[in-house]
Amino acid sequence: MAVYRRNYRPYSGKQTPEWSRFLVLFRYSRRNLFRSKFLTVFFVLCFFWPIACLAWIYVAHSAAVLAKLGLPAEILAIDNKFFLLYITVQGVLSFFMTAFAGPGLISPDLANGSLPLYFCRPFSRAEYVLGKSSVLGILLSQITWIPGVILFIIQASFAGASWTRDNIWIVGSLVLSSLILIAILSLLSTALSAWVKWRIVAGALLVAVVPFGAGLAEAINAVLRIDAGHFLDLRYLMATVWTNLFLVDNGRAISAGQAWIAILVYCLFCLWLLMRKVRAYEVIR
Amino acid sequence: MSGRIIFEDVSKFYGEILGVNRVNLSIPAGITSLVGPNGSGKTTLMNLMTGLVKPSRGRIEVLGYPTDDAENLFKFVGYSTQFDAFPKGLTGFQFIYSYLCLSGMPLRDAERTAWQAIERVNMVDAASRKVAAYSKGMRQRIRLAQALAHNPKVLVLDEPLNGLDPLARSEMIALFRASAAEGSYVIISSHILHEVDVISDQVILLSNGYVVAEGQIQSVRNEIQEHPTQILIRCDRPRELAAKLFESEYTIEASIHNDGRGLLLKTRDADRFYLALNQFALNGMQIESIAPADDDVLSVYEYLIGNEEVVR
Repeated sequence: MAVYRRNYRPYSGKQTPEWSRFLVLFRYSRRNLFRSKFLTVFFVLCFFWPIACLAWIYVAHSAAVLAKLGLPAEILAIDNKFFLLYITVQGVLSFFMTAFAGPGLISPDLANGSLPLYFCRPFSRAEYVLGKSSVLGILLSQITWIPGVILFIIQASFAGASWTRDNIWIVGSLVLSSLILIAILSLLSTALSAWVKWRIVAGALLVAVVPFGAGLAEAINAVLRIDAGHFLDLRYLMATVWTNLFLVDNGRAISAGQAWIAILVYCLFCLWLLMRKVRAYEVIR
Repeated sequence: MSGRIIFEDVSKFYGEILGVNRVNLSIPAGITSLVGPNGSGKTTLMNLMTGLVKPSRGRIEVLGYPTDDAENLFKFVGYSTQFDAFPKGLTGFQFIYSYLCLSGMPLRDAERTAWQAIERVNMVDAASRKVAAYSKGMRQRIRLAQALAHNPKVLVLDEPLNGLDPLARSEMIALFRASAAEGSYVIISSHILHEVDVISDQVILLSNGYVVAEGQIQSVRNEIQEHPTQILIRCDRPRELAAKLFESEYTIEASIHNDGRGLLLKTRDADRFYLALNQFALNGMQIESIAPADDDVLSVYEYLIGNEEVVR
């Protein structure tokens, strides 16, 4: 046995806080995403509708423009329905943005077998999922609730204190409806990419899952003459929750509470799928 | 921090498939090689000691820390897997740097430390190229760099010599020795037995998920009683020596070398043989050299595991 000189010197400098390490993944993943010209262009396109809404708000408050267009002010009313329409359009854009950006976050790591490299650090599976999902979280926030809140502030500045006081709850609805959308889209896309491992197929699968669910729901409802099929229709569930949040009554077949629970179940299922796959080593039976 | 890597009655099952079973080990500092055929449990053992897989039963402690304490464990453990597992699109430098950031090193320290690690594995010139464009040997080296970048006390290296040319291999071995000489624990798995023999302070032999032997290779060889010890002797009168040795009951076989200047002896009791040989030397026999012929890893491997998949 050799006689060892005990001169080992580990790194003894300052460490970054544990909670902040997932941001390293966020930084790299976001940079990777914006290497794609298509994504960058699509991201810019996502701001066209908020700009159109901004113009709408301006026109609604400009008597001169309204007179020139010959429109009554009631047609362009800025209320809960306006913000529901805003979030619905942005929700559709978010869905396509996720279909493009989401699957590329985890699938390359799984396909390259690089997860052991992440996990042989002081870095947990939950932090990994958080780091990857936060890219989508921030990206989708930038095109959903953040412009929505800005629109609300602009409308409030035009409409005055009385309107703001009566409609302040819309801010909560905007944020909450966006967060539910972001949570379900992030989890669904990352879970699909973890299982499929092939970025393009995972993206296509995400695009297919929603209309397929809607079609299946309609088929079940028609054949069995029930309403329970709607639980398979993610689009219907989201619309139910949103109309409830924005206090718009559209006569939904299932209650908002049931839709909330169904979305929560979907989120938990996606999380379970993710945690089954995001491991240092996959056990193949 | 205690001074050993300890496995206490550790078993790992992947469903019904056995990974390792009832492993009890206490690994000291120095270079320890895990040796065994494919599927014998080497990688499982490494994954267990780095906390990447959890044991189905038993307890593992690395220098006093349980393997599920990732925050503390990976301050002093570096792991290089056997697979080409590189995230897409990173350069050699980014590869090391990003993982140091992930380990909690501030950006400036991470940059400095990454360059130091790249220098240690002689990859400075290629550091700005993408890892995807590296040769297999370069990939091995950059992977080693990421494992030792934070200067870990325990370095776990799965098949680190695979795919390396002889020069790179000797550089790598020198690096392991330097780390071990600094008091590190270098755990290596390898199929290249003659290199294992040269570099290892101790070996752990695995077969079908069981540890079949552990310790310094000579000690392991001495424990194998069913195979007689083989000794090479170069002397001026090998025939006479063979005849005298056959008078004792511990000599099993002797074969004279073609040049008539030596013999290969098989004996059941090496200690008694050496005592007898001393006597012959005192009586005027000129003995040039004595060397054990089968106390290397290759022989021990063949005796305990069989000769399948041995790389000579």
